[in-house]
Amino acid sequence: MKVQRASLTRREKKSLGRMSWKQYMRRYGTLYIMLLLPVIFFIVFRYAPMAYILSAFKKNNIIKPPWEVAWAGNNGFEWFIKAFKNRDFIYALRNTVTLNFLDLIIGFPAPIILALLLNELTFKRFKRITQTIVYLPHFLSWIIISGLALRLLAPNDGLVNIVLKNAGMEPIHFLDDSNNWVWTYIMLGIWKEAGWNTIIYLAALTGISPELYEAASVDGAGRFRKIWHVTLPGLRSTIITLLIMNLGRILGSEFDRPYALSNKLVTDVSNVISIFVYQNGIKGSQFSLTTAVGLFQSVIGVFFLLGANKIANKFGERGVW
Amino acid sequence: MKRILSLLLVLSMLLSLGLVNASAEAQFVDGKFTEPVTITVEIYNRSNDGGTDPTNNKFTDYIKKGMLDKYNVVVEYVSVPRWTEVDEINNLLASGDAPDVCVTYSYPTIQTYASMGGVLDLAPYLTEHKDKLTNLFNLLGDYNIYYDQDPTTGELWAIEALLAERARINLFVREDWLAKLNLAVPTTLQEFEDMLVAFQNNAELLLGEDADRMIPYTTSYDIGWRNDHLLTSFVPDAATDDELYVNGFDDRHLLYPGYKEGVRVLNKWYNMGLIWKDFALYGSGDTTEDSYIKAGFVGAFMHNWDYPYRNGEESIIANLKRNVSEDANYIAIECFQNDAGVYRKFLADSVDRKVFFPYTNDQPLASLLYLDFISSPETVVYLQTGDEGVNHVVTENGAIQTVAATAPDIMNSGMNIDYTITINGLQLFDAELTGKSKALNYAGIDADDVVQALAASTNGGRTVAHYNVGAITAEEGIGTSLSEKRDAFLCRAIVASVADFDKIYDEGMADYLASGGQDIIDERAEKIGYTK
Repeated sequence: MKVQRASLTRREKKSLGRMSWKQYMRRYGTLYIMLLLPVIFFIVFRYAPMAYILSAFKKNNIIKPPWEVAWAGNNGFEWFIKAFKNRDFIYALRNTVTLNFLDLIIGFPAPIILALLLNELTFKRFKRITQTIVYLPHFLSWIIISGLALRLLAPNDGLVNIVLKNAGMEPIHFLDDSNNWVWTYIMLGIWKEAGWNTIIYLAALTGISPELYEAASVDGAGRFRKIWHVTLPGLRSTIITLLIMNLGRILGSEFDRPYALSNKLVTDVSNVISIFVYQNGIKGSQFSLTTAVGLFQSVIGVFFLLGANKIANKFGERGVW
Repeated sequence: MKRILSLLLVLSMLLSLGLVNASAEAQFVDGKFTEPVTITVEIYNRSNDGGTDPTNNKFTDYIKKGMLDKYNVVVEYVSVPRWTEVDEINNLLASGDAPDVCVTYSYPTIQTYASMGGVLDLAPYLTEHKDKLTNLFNLLGDYNIYYDQDPTTGELWAIEALLAERARINLFVREDWLAKLNLAVPTTLQEFEDMLVAFQNNAELLLGEDADRMIPYTTSYDIGWRNDHLLTSFVPDAATDDELYVNGFDDRHLLYPGYKEGVRVLNKWYNMGLIWKDFALYGSGDTTEDSYIKAGFVGAFMHNWDYPYRNGEESIIANLKRNVSEDANYIAIECFQNDAGVYRKFLADSVDRKVFFPYTNDQPLASLLYLDFISSPETVVYLQTGDEGVNHVVTENGAIQTVAATAPDIMNSGMNIDYTITINGLQLFDAELTGKSKALNYAGIDADDVVQALAASTNGGRTVAHYNVGAITAEEGIGTSLSEKRDAFLCRAIVASVADFDKIYDEGMADYLASGGQDIIDERAEKIGYTK
């Protein structure tokens, strides 16, 4: 793979050598102009704010820019030490890792399985309708889904539990028991996003040459053999790429999903890092502390990303780069 | 291109310098600025249905015109969403755009800004201009104005508005259910519990085919506020002010002695099926509980002292009468006596919102004059009652009765509380008239019920003395996370089985104390030299 890429650039270099600067700009100039806007976006909204990471090492102050503020205690690491001494941060770290890990194990294969199922449907119109229906929850916000979850799953007034009660069964505490809440959280995540995430796999599936299926049929492979030997290998690089990106997010945390689904009885499992940052930083004005937490989160995320990529390369896969 | 750009920059710099100079030249002569001076003032935006632009309506016009005529000060309003005001002020302060006059309910927030150098010290300005601020000093008194002054440095970061209405919380029961079941109004904890059981046992009779919807007593996740009279009735009457101050960081009185026994009662009731089962699942601002109350399923609840009476046609009472029957009604009662047999309630001190000037305020005098103007009796009365015949009518005995108005005359907040930032509560500067009018302040509600509610909420009231000991460093930045902890463990303790109650409560309290609660207690105790 690497060899191929290197030869490509060599070829490019050669052709560039033959072109003058003017010729080159005439041919590709518009592309650069089109690139300008996203580059400006990234500089203004992604890179410039990074200067404020400095406030993780400075005294808590939002009035002055961080470079004018005095360094924090302990050689600037006061807030990191404070965070790790803070019980709530440790709980939040534990909950973030637990929820994201479960999401990865259970949530990650879901769209792959769904995509395989959809791929096997032969009746085109039915396939298209099914696809549309499974996409739809993606467009609902977590606020709406949490409202739906309450109406359906509340232990006494929820529809599901009313049905159970009428059938003479005990209500299930989907939302107010910490263990059950975790499963409700994971399952709702799958319901919301699995359909949408099939898109990328379905696109990869169209790239598999039909000749491979025909050849497999000739060799006498049945439906499951074909899935195993043709479809899944065809999806492998997509799966690996997405898995690496997901691993990079293992310590990242969404805010609206746990915040909206949470309630006072399950805060022991639902308080994740983003909620910690919201409560202590934005509401509690501890900006330096929460910047430190955010920085820690990002650094760990980068390590996971690099590690996963390395492992992928080792196993002969292309990885993300 | 570069040259043009730099020219433009220089030009705009010169221009802004010129502007600054112009306003700096304005002299204050004979009670008026010689040149117009502009100040900006924070105003809450409640985005209420049918409301007007909070920065530009008939009431802001009144203030703007008054300030311009009287002092030559131009007032501009900056609207800030009511429910995310602290987040918004954070942003405005960080970008140097905060309004000259800011207001918030959270003193710790101001303390944090002050320690970052973001707030003006008001003390020198108040001393210098005291003679020009008679209305402000008359309304608030030295007590409220210097409430937060640091005893050692003399710095003053904020002025406390006056809380003119001391009533906080009430216990409400369905008057018509008591009548239906031939029950007397309960006057003790035991009688109250018996009444709840009677509601539960007579659900068929009271609710007919909706019998399974019966909720004898309801609360929200905000256990401390919504059960306050019950919980604080377990605080020993002999507890001293010192003890209550040291244990008084939590505004729901969580750390007061005896509190746990109050929560134990709720745990018992929950396990007897007397409390709404799903209360802990709904967050702040959710209307599920209100809709059950309005539908007529709820026997009793505790809430803000006038909660069922607020909002005219949309009030709980109005809804209840529409949904159930004309006799359906909630009345305020007192049931919870403390160990001395007193119906004790802990009332807040006479302070309300906190007004502060950020460091970017270069017009402190004009800003103080603004506060003085909105504190003058004439302005307060006009803002609170509006125009006669439009916002209120005068009854035969001279009292002022509120009537519901629509845009452009609507008040975006009750009694324009968002504009009268130095006072909360009706103040007509005539005690008798204010008293008479208060009961008529609720469109469509029986005045006797309001009078009873006022009495029930303040009877046996106790206000813990104010200790001015300067900033308590252990309190900075920790309030929100401690409140979240408190709500979570109280909810868990209430839904626990009776056998598990002690374990869960004690674990929750230990976590609360270990997460900063104990440090606050210790620092407070040390500052006032309190030993147990």
